[in-house]
Amino acid sequence: MTAAPPVRPPARPVPAAHRPLGGAGRLLRLEVRRNAMLWTLPLAAVLFWVLTFRQSMAYPPLWNVRAMTMQATGVAVFAPTVVGAAAWVGSREGRHGMADLVVGTARPRWIRQLAAWAATTGWAIVAYLGCVGALYGATVWQGAWGGPLWWPAAVVAASLPAFAALGFAAGALRPSRFTPPLIAVAAFLALELSAQFIHGDRSYWQISPLVAGPWEIGPDAGVAIFHPYLPDLPIAQVAFLAGLTAVLLGLLGLPAGSGGRWLRRGAAAITAAGLLAAGTAVALAGTGRLDAHGMITISALHDKADDRPIRYTPVCSQPPIPVCLHPAYASSLPVVTAALEPVLDEVAGLPGAPIRIDQAAATYEQESGNGVGIRAEGPPMSGPSPVYRLLLPNQLPGPTLTSSELVVAVRTNIGRDILADVVGVGRSADPAQQAVMAAILNTVDAETDPQVAAAAARFAALPAAARRAWLVEHLAALRAGNITLARLP
Amino acid sequence: MNVEVSDLTRKLGRTQAVAGVTMATGPGVFGLLGPNGAGKTSLLRMMATVLPPSSGRIRLLGRDPGDYGQRKQIRRRLGYLPQNLGYYPRFTVVEFVEYFALLKEMPPARVHHAVAATVERVGLGDKAKAKLRTLSGGMLRRVGIAQAIVNEPELLLLDEPTAGLDPEQRVTFRALLRDLGQHATVIVSTHLVEDVGAACSQVGLMNRGKLVFQGTPGELTARAEGTSAAGDSPLERGYSAMLAQARS
Repeated sequence: MTAAPPVRPPARPVPAAHRPLGGAGRLLRLEVRRNAMLWTLPLAAVLFWVLTFRQSMAYPPLWNVRAMTMQATGVAVFAPTVVGAAAWVGSREGRHGMADLVVGTARPRWIRQLAAWAATTGWAIVAYLGCVGALYGATVWQGAWGGPLWWPAAVVAASLPAFAALGFAAGALRPSRFTPPLIAVAAFLALELSAQFIHGDRSYWQISPLVAGPWEIGPDAGVAIFHPYLPDLPIAQVAFLAGLTAVLLGLLGLPAGSGGRWLRRGAAAITAAGLLAAGTAVALAGTGRLDAHGMITISALHDKADDRPIRYTPVCSQPPIPVCLHPAYASSLPVVTAALEPVLDEVAGLPGAPIRIDQAAATYEQESGNGVGIRAEGPPMSGPSPVYRLLLPNQLPGPTLTSSELVVAVRTNIGRDILADVVGVGRSADPAQQAVMAAILNTVDAETDPQVAAAAARFAALPAAARRAWLVEHLAALRAGNITLARLP
Repeated sequence: MNVEVSDLTRKLGRTQAVAGVTMATGPGVFGLLGPNGAGKTSLLRMMATVLPPSSGRIRLLGRDPGDYGQRKQIRRRLGYLPQNLGYYPRFTVVEFVEYFALLKEMPPARVHHAVAATVERVGLGDKAKAKLRTLSGGMLRRVGIAQAIVNEPELLLLDEPTAGLDPEQRVTFRALLRDLGQHATVIVSTHLVEDVGAACSQVGLMNRGKLVFQGTPGELTARAEGTSAAGDSPLERGYSAMLAQARS
């Protein structure tokens, strides 16, 4: 106001905008440029890397596990970050003593608040999409079979506007510098606590965006491989989150002073619609059931086309007994083949031996409480030319096995099953059957009966051709329980 | 008349901040004087449609601020600088002024030019892209003035606008006030009697929530004649005399 020459004002005042939303786009652009969410993006990225990316990458490159892990941990990463940033933005008018300045302006308070919320949400979504892009890109790069699962990603994306609305509303209603950290911690705790109330597959609490499938199973490599990923629960979760967003934003527009009569009526309508959507979604989640393929199915949202198995061409090892796995597990084929090779070489062509080993889908059954029973689909062996149906240990929920752990697990469980079918072990093997199995599986240990151990050592010491010739000649007697330890060579 | 106030009252808790003020004013600069706690800020906040009156009647720019539609029209034509200017520290000068231009629903196509012109007008052209947190108190006050006048308001309400301005800036500001007062109704609440003398065509004096004087600066000066009122200038002596009379 010193050197600048005075600029003459126009003869008449500048006319006001006629469109109520005129300039809202520019307002949004301004909010985007100066939004506090920008400052929390590095924090969100680091948390995502530590808690989501690294954890997901520890699993094999399976879309189902990666996507479901991302949903469960991604929500927990972004929720407190977005809530905190949004609360900071929502409380800024109060914190900076701007109330008098902004109240005396023409644009409705609700529009002003929506612009600030939208900018916060926009940055959160951009950051989240970047994180998803990194994780899914790495999964593609690792050659995962099939395609990305988008519904888990959509649930996290839908949670961001809701968390932003929650934080913004808290900040607007309680404008203090303590509100953002408090509401961020409260949101995180509420989120984590919500999943603890889940009991069984009919729980309403499954609506929590943390839940990426049956809660007690968690991210499971066995689901959405042989059968399509069911979007039933994610659809309900997205509807709930959209409803929650609408309710929270609508509530901001209800008080007198938020805008004109029509704007407030609009806010009331949005609130009512949000309540309806959220309530319906919660009710639908309560009708969920664990289906045989390990997913939550909601009959009102279910598409029967999703029940059909996914067609695939298995990847197989070489004879004498080919091991065929689902292409999603192709990376496990060398390990599984190597684990079963000693058994398969011995039993190939013998009566009771399978002609092929096929990987089977797991089937799931809800048990009492939160228990879930998991077994292979169909009988282990079937048909006149028997095919053994294999359920890999890494198809089951639990920690990822290393290659050596997988070899041990496959040999001691699946190898024993196959061998037991050949030597005819029923409920309990006789000493000769035990010795033959221990010799082939190389499982003699300190707990083995000394006489059985001695016979097993004797049998194992034979050349492979001699062992096989003896088995061909005496298998029927061995299966019938007519071989004693003394008769073993 | 752009401002018509009749028997306006406002209670803040147990305090009668404004106690039956009646006044009317048209285009020009109206100086609102009075000691601390006289009710100037409350009266200005009611005129700025920020604070609803407890009772009485108020019409601004020929419209009723009690009606939402009319209040919105008033706000589009209003500029207001509160006593304590809040601001977003990370906004630049231009962004802050643009923000208020948009909140005042200026046509988007005119915002860019209006903001640039206003920032120049308050002498902050060289600080246009500076963040507000880097500005001095005087510069922040000028940013506040810029946001108030960016929409070329028909009614401009300034609460202690010269607080924090150095003498040179105050002189320039008074010129700006006179300029604005040619087309708009400008109401300036201030402690500084010399501001009123230099820039105002009308002056009101408030004491204990009441408007105890309304007239020209000359008429206020005349109130000191024949009294021993204290003051360094004739207008200050008039102010003191009028205040003493109101308190007696």
